[in-house]
Amino acid sequence: MERRPGEQAAGEPADCGAGGGEGGDDEPPQGAGAQAARPEARLTLLLRLRAQTKQQLLEYKSMVDANEEKTPEQLIQDKHIEAKIEDLEKEVEEVKTAFEMKKLALDSVLMDNMKHVLKLNKLIMKSHQESWDLEEKLLDVRKKRLELKQSSENKLLEIQTEKNKQKDDLANMENSNKIKAMQRNLKMEIQITTVIQNVFQNLILGSKANWAEDPTLKEIVLQLEKNLATI
Amino acid sequence: MSVLRPLDKQPGLNTATILLVGTEDALLQQLADAMLKEDCASELKIHLARSLPLPSDVNRPRIDLIMFVVNLHSKYSLQNVEESLRHVDATFFLGKVGFLAMGAGQESHCSIHRNTVTKLANTYRSPLFFCDLEREGFRATVAQRLVRMLQICAGHVPGVSALNLLSLLRSSENPAPEDL
Repeated sequence: MERRPGEQAAGEPADCGAGGGEGGDDEPPQGAGAQAARPEARLTLLLRLRAQTKQQLLEYKSMVDANEEKTPEQLIQDKHIEAKIEDLEKEVEEVKTAFEMKKLALDSVLMDNMKHVLKLNKLIMKSHQESWDLEEKLLDVRKKRLELKQSSENKLLEIQTEKNKQKDDLANMENSNKIKAMQRNLKMEIQITTVIQNVFQNLILGSKANWAEDPTLKEIVLQLEKNLATI
Repeated sequence: MSVLRPLDKQPGLNTATILLVGTEDALLQQLADAMLKEDCASELKIHLARSLPLPSDVNRPRIDLIMFVVNLHSKYSLQNVEESLRHVDATFFLGKVGFLAMGAGQESHCSIHRNTVTKLANTYRSPLFFCDLEREGFRATVAQRLVRMLQICAGHVPGVSALNLLSLLRSSENPAPEDL
């Protein structure tokens, strides 16, 4: 009274993943590419089938061999059975040890690979560290350069301010009081001298002497004409 | 033909057949669909059955792997599986049988203890998988595992036989019983 909800043989179209392109007699050829791929795919399929059949043959052979051994109960008595059991157990142990040895051998190869990998990893880490250090140094140098630039900028700024100060000082000097006083005095002297000049001029003119004929008088009069303000 | 024998028929070319035995039909169907979606170079044939023995009048291909699905929430499924185990030949248990326990996630609903199933698997020296078949992701994972196992049991993987796989699958939790 079991129910078999039908064989899932309908899974064939869905499941032939790799088998999709193989033996595609029901698919129309998709062009030269598919044509070239199909003989290759068929070859792969054949090789796979060959491997499968070999494996299955091996299985069947081993089953046949196992079944050929006559069962102990039919032939041998108790003592022999125990001896046989011991022999079989020894065989099993031997096979086990051989297997363990093979595993150890493989493991040693594996260990070598792992050691190699570890060495490489160490090298990688060292190189990383070195490159990191170099980058740090580069960064330091760059920082210093920036600092120097900034300080030179400051110095130039200072020089400029100094120059400006000097100019200002000069300008201020001109406005200082001393100069003003000196200028006033100068003006006063000029005025006094101009007055004296005019007085002497008028003296000579007033004396009604002919100053044009006498060279010394002429010189004196002309000299007195000089406008001292323009000197 | 009430007993299933492993190598009684010739294998189909490039074909691998798995038999899923269990009482949860819907979930088995979903698992079968998940398996069919897997990428596999050989053709997969999945048979579902509630219990053994299978009817002998049907022409069916050689079965490469039997998975007994036990639902930890129902004792009936365990009984069913135990019943069906009697109809399987002893040579099948050399790597071509597996147990799949589902529903271990919800502790409160489990009426069968995990140890029961573990003992059952140990008695028959077969691998035991736990899976929650209701979640899509887990189902896909288990489907992938089953497909790989099936390929090996069908002899499609050169160099590995079902017996090899069996000894490889023995983890430290269930070592080969030393009480021989």
